[in-house]
Amino acid sequence: MADEKKSILVLGVGNILLRDEGVGVRVVERLGREFAFSDNVRLMDGGVRGMILMDPIIESDHVVIIDAVVNDHPPGTIYRLDGDDLRLSVAFKNSVHDMDLLETMCCCELISGKRPSAVIVGIEPKDYQSDPLVELSPEIEAKIPRLMELALEEIRAVGGDFAPRSDN
Amino acid sequence: MAGCKTSKMPVTPVGNYNGKVVIDPVNRLEGHLRIEVEVENGRVKNAWSSSQLFRGLEIILQGRDPRDAKHFTQRACGVCTHTHALASTRCVDNAVGVQKSIPETGLVLRNLLLGAQFLHDHVVHFYHLHALDWVDVVSALSASPKKAAEITNTAGLGHRQHTVEELQATQDRIKKFVEQGQLGIFANAYFLEPHASYKLPAELNLIATHHYLEALKIQILPARMMAIIGGKNPHTQSLYEGGITCYDALKPENIAQFKALFKQTMEFVNNTYIPDVLAVAPYYLDWGGIGHTTHFAACGEFPMDESDLASRYLPAGVIFNNDLSVVHDFDPDKVMEHVAHSWYKDGAPKHPWQGVTDPMYTSLDEMETGNTGKYSWMKAPRYDGKATEVGPLAQVLIAYGKGHPRVKPVVDLVLKHLGVGPAALFSTLGRTAARCIETKVIGDEMVAWIEKLEANVAAGKTDIVAPFKMPDSAFGVGFVNAPRGFLSHWIEIEGGKIKNFQLVVPTTWNLGPRSDDGTLSPVEEALIGTPVFDPKRPVEVLRTIHSYDPCIACGVHIIDPKTNETYKFKVC
Repeated sequence: MADEKKSILVLGVGNILLRDEGVGVRVVERLGREFAFSDNVRLMDGGVRGMILMDPIIESDHVVIIDAVVNDHPPGTIYRLDGDDLRLSVAFKNSVHDMDLLETMCCCELISGKRPSAVIVGIEPKDYQSDPLVELSPEIEAKIPRLMELALEEIRAVGGDFAPRSDN
Repeated sequence: MAGCKTSKMPVTPVGNYNGKVVIDPVNRLEGHLRIEVEVENGRVKNAWSSSQLFRGLEIILQGRDPRDAKHFTQRACGVCTHTHALASTRCVDNAVGVQKSIPETGLVLRNLLLGAQFLHDHVVHFYHLHALDWVDVVSALSASPKKAAEITNTAGLGHRQHTVEELQATQDRIKKFVEQGQLGIFANAYFLEPHASYKLPAELNLIATHHYLEALKIQILPARMMAIIGGKNPHTQSLYEGGITCYDALKPENIAQFKALFKQTMEFVNNTYIPDVLAVAPYYLDWGGIGHTTHFAACGEFPMDESDLASRYLPAGVIFNNDLSVVHDFDPDKVMEHVAHSWYKDGAPKHPWQGVTDPMYTSLDEMETGNTGKYSWMKAPRYDGKATEVGPLAQVLIAYGKGHPRVKPVVDLVLKHLGVGPAALFSTLGRTAARCIETKVIGDEMVAWIEKLEANVAAGKTDIVAPFKMPDSAFGVGFVNAPRGFLSHWIEIEGGKIKNFQLVVPTTWNLGPRSDDGTLSPVEEALIGTPVFDPKRPVEVLRTIHSYDPCIACGVHIIDPKTNETYKFKVC
C-alpha cells in the first residue's frame, strides 16, 4: 500500500435524458447509495459538462470514468480503456461535444504538466438516439451491477477503500 | 465602413474559388451543426445553417410537475445548463404568480449565480472556442519571448506584467507537444500549415497562446463561484420557484470564498481578456465589415423585480435596420416560430404558447432546391417577422442605444482604440468585442450585488424563497438573456401538470434556417460576402460562426475510441 493515499475521482458522465447515454451517471448514483468510501475517494455526477470537470480532474491523482462508449460491438459489451486508448481518442474527432472529457484531460496536462492517470469503464449503448427518455434500455440496466463491480475493482487497485452501506 | 483607418488596415485575402464548401460538423462548439456555403470568386454568395440533431425535449416534459422542468431542461445542454434551469424556474414563477414575492436576497443570489455563469462562459468562449480562428499557435513557436514580454509590459493595453521566463516556458511546452506529435486539442487545426488569413505577429500569437493556457485554469474559478450558490456544478440545483434555496451561501465563509474567486476572475478579465481583445483586434480590423446582420433583440438581464423586465440592469429592447437611435420596447407577443424550412410538419408560424413539436424529417437534399426545401431540425424564430440576432452584441447595442451609463463608456473606449465608428459594431469583430464588453459590465456590477448580499445578511434579511400554490391551469414564460442571448421557456399548465412546454433557445434565433418567406437567419445573412481564401481550410467562415458562440444543445456525449476520425468535410 502506498504511503500517501492517491486521490481518486469516480466520474460518471453522460446525458440522462438520452436513455443509455446517461448510464455513467446512473452507475455513480448507485455506487453512492450502496457503498461508503474512504476519504480519498470522491464520487461525482459529471453530467454533460466538459471544461468545468477540469477542476475536480486536476485535483485528482487517478480518475475512473464511467460512460457509454460506441465501438460497434453488441449493445452491453463492456470495455476498459486506459493509457494509449485514451490518447488516440482525442483530437477533432467526429463528435458533437468539442471540449469533451478526453480533451479536458489533455488540457489538464497542458496547464499543469501533469495528467492524472485515468481509466474508462465503458459499455456499448443500445439506444441513445431515439426520443428523450430517462430510463435505460433493459439490456444496459442489467449490466449496471457488473459496471459497479469493475469500477470498485479500479478504485481498490489504486488505493481506495469501500464497504457496503449498512442502511442499504 | 465609417471611420476606419484605410492605409494600414490588414486585409483578409480573397481567393478565387468558385463552388460549394461544406463544414460538417463545425468544430469547437456544443452540438452538431452543418454549414454549407456557395462561394463565387472567393466570396460567400449564399449560406445554409443546418442543425443535425433532433431536440424533442418538449416531449419528455409533458405530464410532469412544473417544478421538475428545470431539472430536465438543464440536463439537455452541456454548456448552458444553469441558464435553462433559470429560464424554467422563471417561467413557472410567472405561471404561479410568485414573481413579485421573491425576497430581495434571493434575487441577489440568483443574479450573482448567473453573473458567474457569464464570467465563465465568455472567457471560455474567447480563448477556447474562438481564439484559434485568429491565433496561430504554431507561429508562436518562432516568437521571441523577450519581445513578447516587452509588448505585454510596455504597450499600455492594460496587460499585467509578464516575465520572459513564463512566456519561454509556454513556448517550450507547446514545442514539446508539437514535436511529440501529441497535438491533442490542436490536431487538424487550420494553422498547422501556414494560412494567409492569420494576421498576428509571432509575439502576439505567443502571448495569446500563453493566455489560452492561463484561461484554462481561470475558468475553474467562476465555475466554483457557481457551485457556492448553485449547490454544485455542473447542473446547479438550488433554484426554486419563489427564489433560491442555497442557505449555505449566506454563511460568511462562503461569501468570503465567493469574493476571493470573483476578485481573481475579474483580475484576469481586466488584465488579460480585455487587453488581448484590444491587442488582437487591430490586426483584423477589416472584420468590422464582415459578418453583418440587421436586427437585434435582447430581453435584458439581472432583474431587481422578476415581474418587470424594465427593472433589469441590462435593458431589454429591439433594434431594427441597424438604427441605434431608436430602441423599441421588447414585446413577447411578437415572437413566432416558422417551420417551412424545418423538419417539422408544415403549418403557419406559431407563437410558442401554441407551439407544437411534430417532427417530420425529409432529407438534406432539399437544401439544394433553393428556397423551398426543409433542411434543419431547428425552427426559425422571428421577431415581428424579422430575423433577429440575439447575444452579447444585441445586448450591448441595445444598452448602448439607450445610453446605459456603464455600457456606453466601455463601447466608446473600444471604438476609439480601434479608430472606428459604431457602424463597425454590426460585424463579427463587433460581436467578439461585445462579448468582452458584456463580461466587463456584468463583472463590475457584481461588486454592488455582493455588497448588497453582505448588507442584507448583516441586517438579518435572510429569507431567500417565497411560498406559492400551484394553480390548476396557467400560462407562464421565463426570459433569460443568457451568455448566448435571448432564451425563453414557455409553459402551459393543466391539472397542475405540464401540458405544453416549448423552449426557444438563442442558438435557434441565430443559427436556425430560413423562415417561411425565405428570409435568411442571422448567421446565414452574416456569412454573405465572407472571403474564403482556401476552401479546404475555411477559417473565415468559422470566425463568423464561432462569433455566435453556438450551442446546439446536443447532449450526446459518447466516447468513441475509433481513431483518426476526422470531419466529413468536402469541397464540392
